[in-house]
Amino acid sequence: MSDIAIRVDHVSKKFRLYKERNQSLKSAIMRGRTSVHEDFWALKDVSLDVVRGQTVGLVGDNGSGKSTLLKCMAKILYPDKGSITMKGRLAALLEVGSGFHPELSGRDNVYLNGSILGMSRREIEMKFDEIVDFSGVREFIDQPVKNYSSGMYVRLGFSVAIHVDPDILLVDEVLAVGDESFQAKCAEKFVELRKAGRTIVIVSHALGTLASMCDSLVWLQHGDVMATGDPATVIAAYRGHDGP
Amino acid sequence: MSIRVNVRRYRELFVNLTQRELKGKYKRTILGQLWSLANPLALMVVYSFVFTFIIRMTPEPGDPSGLDVFPLWLLCGLLPWIFFSNVVNQGMGTLLANESLIKKVYFPRSVLVLSSSAAIAVNWLVEMSVLVVALALFGAWTVFLWLPMLVVFMALLAVFATGIALALSIANVYFRDTQYFVTIALQLGMYMAPIIYPVSLVKVQSDRIGPLFANVTLLDIYRLNPMERFIAVFRRLLYDNDWPAFDDVIACVLWAAVAITLGMLVFSRNQKKLAEIL
Repeated sequence: MSDIAIRVDHVSKKFRLYKERNQSLKSAIMRGRTSVHEDFWALKDVSLDVVRGQTVGLVGDNGSGKSTLLKCMAKILYPDKGSITMKGRLAALLEVGSGFHPELSGRDNVYLNGSILGMSRREIEMKFDEIVDFSGVREFIDQPVKNYSSGMYVRLGFSVAIHVDPDILLVDEVLAVGDESFQAKCAEKFVELRKAGRTIVIVSHALGTLASMCDSLVWLQHGDVMATGDPATVIAAYRGHDGP
Repeated sequence: MSIRVNVRRYRELFVNLTQRELKGKYKRTILGQLWSLANPLALMVVYSFVFTFIIRMTPEPGDPSGLDVFPLWLLCGLLPWIFFSNVVNQGMGTLLANESLIKKVYFPRSVLVLSSSAAIAVNWLVEMSVLVVALALFGAWTVFLWLPMLVVFMALLAVFATGIALALSIANVYFRDTQYFVTIALQLGMYMAPIIYPVSLVKVQSDRIGPLFANVTLLDIYRLNPMERFIAVFRRLLYDNDWPAFDDVIACVLWAAVAITLGMLVFSRNQKKLAEIL
């Protein structure tokens, strides 16, 4: 089908829980092994389709596999079984300010961070003013970012990320940055992206925000998909279950 | 996403990361980029003092250049060695240093190692340019004729060193001991290659001992060191201003090819797992 932007096909992801982990050569040789581990399945046979232009939220308790799923989509982790297919340009907002160098100026860091997130130089040049205005740190753009307040730092990082303008945007709980007015700006930007037909996948614990933003929700529990569909129904089911 | 877009995109990332390395390194220093010349110059002064004043060592004068200046003779071998050692040492640590980036953003991880090499190569290029000018000033003006060859071998050494750095950067993620082991190996390596002494001294000892087993002499074993070959070629081009020995050229090409193939193989096999292992 052509209107599926993300297809997660029977994905399982295993982590190793180390009882004993040795990263030194000595212990590897002495014991003849580097580690003793147990397998832990963070995702168990998860399948889901995200339709192009939809905003989908992933909910679940801590350790339910939401972030793992998102990282698999972002190609940071690789599934042990199954596959994930993406259609279109992908950007993942898992952290703001990735790769910022503290000694370099805000300007240099915008270019650096932009290219890490996959923007071309020309694109960044075109959007530079927009990015800086959005972040509200114009006066300090030629200062090294280590002198920024933590709020300014994340605002600049977030502005770059939000301007990547991908077909598919993966977001991991980074919405809550900056002061109230900045958050309002971010919410507005998300509405704009949705209107422009972008596909968005969000991981968050803020059920209220998710309910208003998303077209559908996916509830994960211990690596299993418990429910998918209409936000109100999924939230009701999630709230109704008896703890982990 | 088409492959062409991909290549363009990551080329820009590569350039930006290299710039980050170069710009960030000497921030808030008064001399800035000049510091990159300080280390080789200090070594040159120390070694020249020790090996011409205290221990009288006289390498053969350059033929046909006629040069007979120990500090310059030394630098022809020392600068390539320092480059190699920096690429390996720093490239090895890049994956650990950029752990947070690897865990949060997708991009081909090799860009990190490659940009570390590139940043060091830029400094090396400056050092070598200064050396070439100095050689010419001291009379070996024909060195300019050998510049194209020099560039080719600089590229080969960069490929060789980067290949090793790629493989070791992965090894270092699994075993943190790697970095300490390699630091020591590099220190020994400097004395196992004809950098501060001419290879002719090794030959003297080798001839004195005679064949070790079968027809293999000490010199044969000594020459298994790839850096020995590279330094022989650099001295020939820079100090003597003549064609390098044919077998040295072949050895350099082969070593570079083997190192980069191995490095890329090890790296591509493991790069998917990096975010998990780090």
